[in-house]
Formats: sequence, structure tokens, C-alpha cells
Amino acid sequence: MTTLPRFQHMIGSGIVAAVGVWVTYISYTATPSEAFLFPRLIATVFVVLALWTFAKACLGWTKVGNGITPTQVKNLAPGLIVALVYIFWAAKALGFYTATAIAFFILLSLYDPAPHGQLKSWLKRLAITAVFMAVMYGLFAKLLTVYTPREIFF
Amino acid sequence: MKKLLAGAAIALTAMTGSSFADGHANYPERPIMMMVSYGAGGATDFQARIVTMTAGNEDALGMPIAILNKPGAGGRVGWNWLAGQAEADGYTLGAYNIPHFIAQSIKGGVDYSRDSFEPIANWGADPAVLVVGADSEFNSMEDVVAFAKENPGKLTTSGAGLFVGHHIAALQMEKACECKMAYIPTKGGGAAAMKAVIAGDVMAGINNLSDAFRAREAGNVKILGVADLERNDFLPDVPTMMEAGLDVDNSSVNFRGVMVPKGTPKGIIDKLAATVPTMFENSRVTGKMKAGGSPMHIMTRDEVLAMWEQREQTLKELLAGL
Amino acid sequence: MEFLYYFGDVFTPINFGLLLLGTIGGLILGATPGLSPTMAVALLIPFTFQLQAAQGLILLGAAYTSTVAGGAVSAILLKIPGAPANIATTLDGHTMAQKGEGAKALQLSFLASAIGGVFGVLLLIFLTPVLAQWALAFGPSHLFWLAILGVTVIGSLDSKSVVKGLLSGCIGLWLATIGFDDIMGAQRFIFHPALGGGINIIAALIGLFAIPQVITMFAKGRKGDGAEVLTVQKHPISSAFRELFRNKRALSIGTAIGSIIGLIPGVGGQIAGLVAYDQSKKFSPEREKFGTGHPEGVIAAESANNAMVGPSLVPLLTLSIPGSPTAAVLLGGLLIHGIFPGTDLFDNHPDVAWTFINSMLIGQVLMCIFGLYVAGLAAKVAQVPQSVMAAVVLGLAVFGSYSVQSSMGDVYVMASLGVMMYFLERFGFSAAPLVLGLILGPIAEANFIQGSMIANATDGLGPYFLGGTLNIFLISVVIASILYSAYMELRKRRYTSKEEILG
Repeated sequence: MTTLPRFQHMIGSGIVAAVGVWVTYISYTATPSEAFLFPRLIATVFVVLALWTFAKACLGWTKVGNGITPTQVKNLAPGLIVALVYIFWAAKALGFYTATAIAFFILLSLYDPAPHGQLKSWLKRLAITAVFMAVMYGLFAKLLTVYTPREIFF
Repeated sequence: MKKLLAGAAIALTAMTGSSFADGHANYPERPIMMMVSYGAGGATDFQARIVTMTAGNEDALGMPIAILNKPGAGGRVGWNWLAGQAEADGYTLGAYNIPHFIAQSIKGGVDYSRDSFEPIANWGADPAVLVVGADSEFNSMEDVVAFAKENPGKLTTSGAGLFVGHHIAALQMEKACECKMAYIPTKGGGAAAMKAVIAGDVMAGINNLSDAFRAREAGNVKILGVADLERNDFLPDVPTMMEAGLDVDNSSVNFRGVMVPKGTPKGIIDKLAATVPTMFENSRVTGKMKAGGSPMHIMTRDEVLAMWEQREQTLKELLAGL
Repeated sequence: MEFLYYFGDVFTPINFGLLLLGTIGGLILGATPGLSPTMAVALLIPFTFQLQAAQGLILLGAAYTSTVAGGAVSAILLKIPGAPANIATTLDGHTMAQKGEGAKALQLSFLASAIGGVFGVLLLIFLTPVLAQWALAFGPSHLFWLAILGVTVIGSLDSKSVVKGLLSGCIGLWLATIGFDDIMGAQRFIFHPALGGGINIIAALIGLFAIPQVITMFAKGRKGDGAEVLTVQKHPISSAFRELFRNKRALSIGTAIGSIIGLIPGVGGQIAGLVAYDQSKKFSPEREKFGTGHPEGVIAAESANNAMVGPSLVPLLTLSIPGSPTAAVLLGGLLIHGIFPGTDLFDNHPDVAWTFINSMLIGQVLMCIFGLYVAGLAAKVAQVPQSVMAAVVLGLAVFGSYSVQSSMGDVYVMASLGVMMYFLERFGFSAAPLVLGLILGPIAEANFIQGSMIANATDGLGPYFLGGTLNIFLISVVIASILYSAYMELRKRRYTSKEEILG
């Protein structure tokens, strides 16, 4: 057991415990109180279990969960950032199909093992993006007639 | 603070709305979306789908109307969305249920009021009825009232939720008979409330006439009274509550129709108000509505405006004591 | 035997064509993350306006049965349950796919679905009047205890630590209270406008299952070519049959539980799969293998969620009460043609009623044949490179969660829950108990409040919730379930501590 997961477990379960305390506080103070009867019940069990888990983590008794290694963080960070920008900003601002095409292509280029120096691999990635977008457009816009936010380019 | 924000939001939508106020001759140029604040398959959803099915015809709007369901909390979720988050560009319509949304806005805790929306037209009027199980000992309104008077607070009566038409009818009944009932709101709308009556979980129920009519056809319930001014064509043998000696008017009748969020360009509202009522009169629409057991009642924008205002008055009086 | 008389009607060219269309289309829609059976059926409603009553219902019925089964495809291959009914399928199905047994898992799931489904429809044909009474027997107090029974499953479901399983369940129960409280109409925990409508269960499902998958793939980074290409083992259909019949226990537990729970209005399909999974685990001598890619898990879950299809229509067809959102949409499909479910349907339109029911029977078989045919091909999805897979799943998650109710808010909720779930999973929490909490919370709460209102007006809380044969039966099952879990946990601990001493 290294100390890294123990420290991580403390942070992880600490956040869960903090949410538990906050939920309990709201449940017992918010009005109308009849509507919060059930949340109170849940929050009480929630906070007890969360504090227990936090205490276990502090004492280093946590048995399950592997935590995150620095390599994993380094690997997932760019993808996660692209995904979050795509979902929380681009999808609405640029329109679903535009944003999805861009995000899809960036993610593919970030994680595709094929070398970035070759023109062929770029063409392949473009082709995959085009096929995916065609399928999505056919399924959601044509078949299911889902009304997505308007696109900025067309 | 909340009011201030809401005010600012309305002002903002009004501004953006007026900036392209002219040139709606070509409206609609793309398909229109209509929000229904109840689940797919519910009475409001079912009727909304029928009355909008001819929207794509050339003599109607020329563009189809797609139904979008945003169910939850007796309609509050959907109407909150329409008032606060929907684009007031004429391509987002909403279905309204009176008295539901007005009663909820009077009661508070929601982001809309009568002024948040502009009516277009009314398509249906579905009165609330009192139902009891087929094997119930109650055979008339008088039996029910007598029981409620002898056993205050013991008459368990199911309905679709708090501050919806069913609840308003229950409140009016309590006021008229000077008795106390136990109104049980159910989760899952009118269908769940009806199930509670049929299964005997509750002694009586208040439900939509259209659903009750179907349940009676299936032999599951008895319908004892209609909360309306006149007897209904679907149920000529059932007396109104007035006839049974209860001073219950038509305040709880569930009016259903189309509205748009405030800030929708005037030109578009006028165009919709002119076309939509004729769309409802289409013989295919009326035929399907009749077949499905849904009473129609077509009203124009001006009539609906007057009706909304009058409903708000009566509901304010009724709910003042609560 | 009236139904035999109308069998011919299913095989007229138009009817059979619609049946094929509904089945194949339903499988594809069901396999798309974010499209639940209710949505698929609602999307088809406009088409049924143009068709005759029987034809419209054939299309809807076929789509209903096959979307439920199709949901297993994405559950097994992508670990994204298509609908709440398929959550239990992910537990063993996806682990099988990771071991290269995707084809086998899919074949088993389709076969189990068909057997459960056919059994369910046969119940609908032969026992409808009896079943209708049974469906009505469940009042608010019974539904409350049923939800509590579901809660007792939480701790032991897919989690190595009971405390963390329960804690995950609590988080789910709490998330379910966000939004407007359905009965009082009060706002609870709405700290962002996107939460105004509460947390949509389909959006939550996509987020909690799909997003952690995507991030896990990111975390593996850029891999060299062929570093981790999964082999997909071919699996002959005949051995899938043998495997299925080796696991008769799981199959019969799944089918029985699915049929019984599917019948109950308002609870139905959402928890049938999970309860069946949990029960077969408890009765199985190989219970340790559950969760590690054990065929029994897939068979129990999938036979249960298709067995529920037939019985779930009983309250609708006999009492005119739609017991589930999907049934409500089917009701619309009947009303549009002026047909009222109940006596009117069976007396005046027997052709419509029986053609519809028969087509569901045939539909189950067609779904199975078609499913088996594509299983081997579909399993190849596991060989798609990780980089492509991550991007595809992300795109599908966004479109799927948006299309539930055309709401950006649902997409934000999906993404936030998903990112949160990834980190929680790193610390030993798991998604399945969390989702179970999310599903059970509203059922338990609404029925408790409604029940207590009725109780206060009548004979009081104690007698209402604790009296009556059905209440007592359900309470004893709850207690048995808790005691059994505690016993197993203690036994496991004793073994592990011994091993530790020895080691």
C-alpha cells in the first residue's frame, strides 16, 4: 500500500461526506417541512454512511478502489477537457452536428495510435468522422426527427 | 430577487422578440414543436396529438407540429420550462390546462403566471366527475355527501395531484357540502388515480370525464356526478353536481388548448390565432376526438383570454382560505 | 382457444410486413443508447394514425417487445443499458464481452428474452382475468414494501464493499428527490435550472454508465497498434441452446419474477431485471461468479425483462388502466381508432385484440431469430479501436440524452453525473446500486406519502402498512433478504480473515 491512494481516498470520500452533510443540513432546514420528510430520512442514512467511509479512509482501512495514477490523469485530461467543452459549450453554441463533428475529430486525433505525421492517417480519421456524422444525422434528424439546437454554419 | 430576474428575462425576450417583429408572412418556415406538460399517452398528450395531426395540411399551417413531453409535478416542470427556457420565436408552442396552471401560479412556488403566456386557441373541455368503484355502496351524489357529513375526513378521494382540476373540484365540493373529505393526490396522473378507485384503495375518486367514461364502458366504475353547468353529451344519464344539490360550478372543468410564451412576435400570434381554431374544426380531428371519448370545445384567442381572466378571479377566491 | 382462430391474420402480407418492420426497427432503436421502449413506441404513434387499428397495434407491439430485447445489445457491448430494464444485463453481459464472449452473451440474451417473452405472452392469453385481480391487489402500502425489498438488494449488488454499495444507493435515493416533489409540488434541491424537471432516469442511465466508459478509454492513452485488440470468439448457436438449458434455474427464476413483477402497475419493468438477477444470485451455488461474466446473470436478467412485457399489458387490456408509460402510449394507439380497452375490445373487436396479442407472440420469435443472426456480427463491436469507440460513445451519449425530451439540461445532467461517477468508481463506488436508488426512491416515497394519507383518514398507519396478508408476506421477504445478505457477508468475512491469517 502506497500512501497515494490513501490520500486520494481521503479526498474522494471527504467530498462525498461534505455533500452528505450539506444535503442533511438542507433537508432539516428547508420548507415546507412535509415535503422534506423523505429527504431527511435518506440524508440521515447518507451522512452516517459517508462519515463512516471518510473515517475509514483517514485511518487507511479502505479495501476497494484503486484511485488514479498520475499517468492516467495525464492520459485522460486532454480528452476530458475536449469532452466537457463540447458538452457544456459547443453543443449549444455551435449546434449539435457541427460541434459533434469537431469534437469527434479532435478526440480521434488525440487518441488514435496511428502516427500523426502521415497524411493517410488523417484522411482515415476524416473518413471515420464523416461516416459517423452521416449515421447520426440519418438516425436522429431523419428517422427520429429530433429537433436539435440550430447550427451556426447552416 | 427572483421576481426581478423574471422581469428582466421577460423584458429581454420581449426585446429580442420585437427586433424581428416584422416579416412573418412566411411563417412557419420549419416544423413547429409543441410542449405538453404531461407524459406520453396521458389524456392531454393524446388529445394534443390528435388536434395537431392536420397541421401539415396546406389549409392549416403547412408545417407539421411535433409533440414534446415534459412531464412532472402536475405540469409545473413543463410550464416552468415554457415560461423560462423556451424560445419565444413562434416555433415553440405549449399546451395549457386550465385551471391547473393558474391555480399553481396562485399557490406559488413556480416561475409562471397567467401573464407568462399568450393563448392561441382552446380545443377541449373535460369536466371532472366523481367516480366510485363498480361494487361501491354509494349509488348517488347524495349517498356520498351523507357519508362525508357523518364521517368528516374519512371519505378517501383520489385525484391526479394538488392544484389541478380534480383538486379544485374536491375543494369546491367540500365548500358546498360543508364537509371534510380526505383528498389523496396520486403520482402518475389520472390513470393512477383511477386505478386507486377500481382497486378499492380509496372510496371515491375525482377524474377526467373522458377517462371515467372509458372505465365505465369497461364496467369498472360508477359515475355519480359531473362538475359542470350542464350534463355532458357523453354521459346524458349522469346528473351535474348542481342537480344533486351541491353548489359546484364549472371552475374545475379542464380546458385544454394551445399557447405560446410571452414575447412571441405579435404577427405570429395573430397568424396562429387565425389558423389554429379552423385546424381544430377539421372533420378528421373531430371524428378522432369523438371516437376516443374526448369532449371538444373550440374557442378563439379572445374567448380564451376572457376565460383565463375569469378563471383567475374565481380561483383566487376559492384558494384564498388555504 | 379463441386466439388460435385469429392466428391467420398475423400472416397477411401487410400485417407480417409491419411485424417484421417493427421487430427489426425496434431492435435497432433499442440498441441505440437513450432510446427507451416508451420513446420508441411514442415515436411510432403518428404512423399508426394512418394505419388500421390492428395494423397500428402490431407495429407498436412488435416495437415494444424488440426494443426491450434490443436494449441488451448496448448493455452487453458498450455497458450502456438502453433502458432501466437492462441495467442488470450490464453486470455480467459486459464482462463477458470483455472476455471475448460477446457473441455468446448476445445469443444467450436473445434466447432468454424469447423464452421469457413467449411465457409472458402466454400468461396474457390464458390467465388474463386472474392476473387482472392480482394486479389490482397491490395498493400503496404493498408497493412501498416492494420498493423497500428493492432497497435491500442495493448493498449486495455489484460492489465489493457493502458500505459503499449502500452509500451509492443513498446517493441515488437523494438524487431522485431533486426537482419538484410530485405530490406536494414543492421544489427540492434545485440548485441549477437544468434540474428543474428532476433527474431524468434515461439521461442519468446514459451518464452513469457511458461516460465512465469513455473516460476509462481516455485514461488508457494513445496505444500502439494492436496492443489490445480483443478476440471475439465464435460461438455456435447450438451450444448457446445447450448453455441456456444448463441454466434452467436462472431461466425459470427470471421468467417467474419478470411475469409477477411486470404485472404490478407503476413498478413493472424497471426493477424486474434487477430483482431477478439478485434472486438467481442468492439461489445459485456459484454465486461468487456473478459479476465476473457468468452466463446465469445474463439469462436471469434478460428472461425477466422480456417476461414482463406480456403481463404488463394486462391492466391495460382488461381494466383500461395503463400500468406503465409504454402501456399509456399503446392506449393512445387504441383510442385513436375508437376502441376502448376492456370488454369493448374483447367483445366487439376480438380481431384487433387477438391479432395484436398473437403478433407479440410471433414477434418474440422473430426477434430471437433476427437477434441470433446478427449476434456474431454485432459482437465485432468489441474490436473497434478504443479511440473510435470513445468518440462514438460520447457522441451517442450526447444525442441520446438530448433526444429524451429535447432538453439541453438533460445533457448537462448526463455529463455531470457521468464525470462524477468515473471518479466515484475509482474509489470503489458503483453505478448499479446508485441507479437502483434513483429508480426506487420515487416509488417508495410516493407510495409512502399516499399510503399514509389514506391511513390517516382510515384505520391508522400501523394497521395500514403492517396489516393484511400481502403486507406481511412482503415484509417477511424483506427481512429474509436482509438476514440472508448479512449471513453471506459474515461468512465471507470469516473466510477472508482466515486466508489472511494463513497467508
